[in-house]
Amino acid sequence: MQLVAAILLVALIGLLCGLAIYIVYIRVPHKVPGLGKIDEINKLLPGMNCGACGYAGCFAFAQEVSRNPQLASQATCPMLLGNDEVIKQLEIALGVSIDTESMNKKAMLHCKGSSENLFDYSGVQSCKAASLLAGGFKRCPYACLGLGDCMRACKYDAISIDGDKGIAVIDYVKCTGCALCVRECPQNLINMVSGRSKVSYRCNYSEIRVIPGRERCNNGCTHCRKCFVACKYDAIIWNKEKAVPEFDSAKCTLCGECVAVCPTRTLEYFQPAISPYAV
Amino acid sequence: MSNILTIFIGMALINNFVLVKFLGLCPFFGVSKKLSNAASMGLAVTLVMFLASAVTWPITHYILAPLEAEFMSTVTYILVIATLVQIMELFIMRTNYGLYSAFGIYLALITTNCAVLGVTLVNARESFNFIESLASALGAGAGFALVLIIMSGIRERLDTSNLPKSMKGLPVAFLTAALLGLAFSGFSGMV
Repeated sequence: MQLVAAILLVALIGLLCGLAIYIVYIRVPHKVPGLGKIDEINKLLPGMNCGACGYAGCFAFAQEVSRNPQLASQATCPMLLGNDEVIKQLEIALGVSIDTESMNKKAMLHCKGSSENLFDYSGVQSCKAASLLAGGFKRCPYACLGLGDCMRACKYDAISIDGDKGIAVIDYVKCTGCALCVRECPQNLINMVSGRSKVSYRCNYSEIRVIPGRERCNNGCTHCRKCFVACKYDAIIWNKEKAVPEFDSAKCTLCGECVAVCPTRTLEYFQPAISPYAV
Repeated sequence: MSNILTIFIGMALINNFVLVKFLGLCPFFGVSKKLSNAASMGLAVTLVMFLASAVTWPITHYILAPLEAEFMSTVTYILVIATLVQIMELFIMRTNYGLYSAFGIYLALITTNCAVLGVTLVNARESFNFIESLASALGAGAGFALVLIIMSGIRERLDTSNLPKSMKGLPVAFLTAALLGLAFSGFSGMV
């Protein structure tokens, strides 16, 4: 009898406690502007608490964003960037416009890795260490050394090392555009490009007058301007200072002329998995 | 009045929760690395202890005692304290966001802190009246905050000193805790 009474008593107290929390939740007004939207915004977020936005978790991000809606257009959840529908809902909830185009960034490696080895390197297995020894063990002083400093910096397993070519390979689906890898590369081979890029330029060798790229590697840019001439849609702009092509993805129709005409196959389609325009 | 002062000093120094009763040891080592964190944790614990004592006293004396259900006090206290912390967090978040960010994660963390439960159980065991309960909670909180702040100050200083490699970090923190405990044992018999 006493047992049943005790159980009932605790159940009753628990019920009252729950009711109290509910009443406070409903009744206490939001004095801080925007805080009432926290739950609404939190529901739109992926809930994985990955921390890529720079806050302690999805709920912490929702708190900060609902207090300061302008924050959403400076730094948003990288997981949402591909999802236009959710971004639209987030815009309505916050009352600001989110420029996804400027935030959707992917890391791109400017090397295809066909430069041959000058010597066998058996020192510390780190690109930073290897690059200090005579500028690296590749013939091209700008080449990817493939020892994986960027891979170790990546928190999302988006970078792997291709053992045959000896270069880093970036998985554009997993890449969140956090740019942690950019400063790790001693060769400065990784930079952030728009996630909607269509053609990628995979060479970092731009000093045309010293030695043409062909002598350094089979896939190096020879600065021949063939891609610039081949493009019928003005989507390629020739950067005269660096003697490299630059791409305007808004004008690009993905006709493939520039990729086909490139004699050293420096140009490639940007990762098809991420670009909605890719064929 | 002198009775209340005795209870306050007794809970803060003589029966210090951390160093004499060995309650709340997880935050004692977990949150004592930085002085600022230790101070906000100490403040949060004091606040929760005070409110928990204020809420559990009427429950003990007007609900549990008439029903002769004092044996249920531990379970009831846990329920009530958890609810209280939730309500308090909601309230602070919605009314004063600056204070909410100052407390940070610590307010939610101490929901199930044994030191908070400990002070309510001590109040019930010693059969304090309402004012005495509040004094004992404030004393316990002040003692907890004091020890946490002393410990974090020492640990911050030790971080920059030249220690043998095997002693760096936790080992020297344990030794410090032992010496602090020894020092606090000097208070026994003061009242």
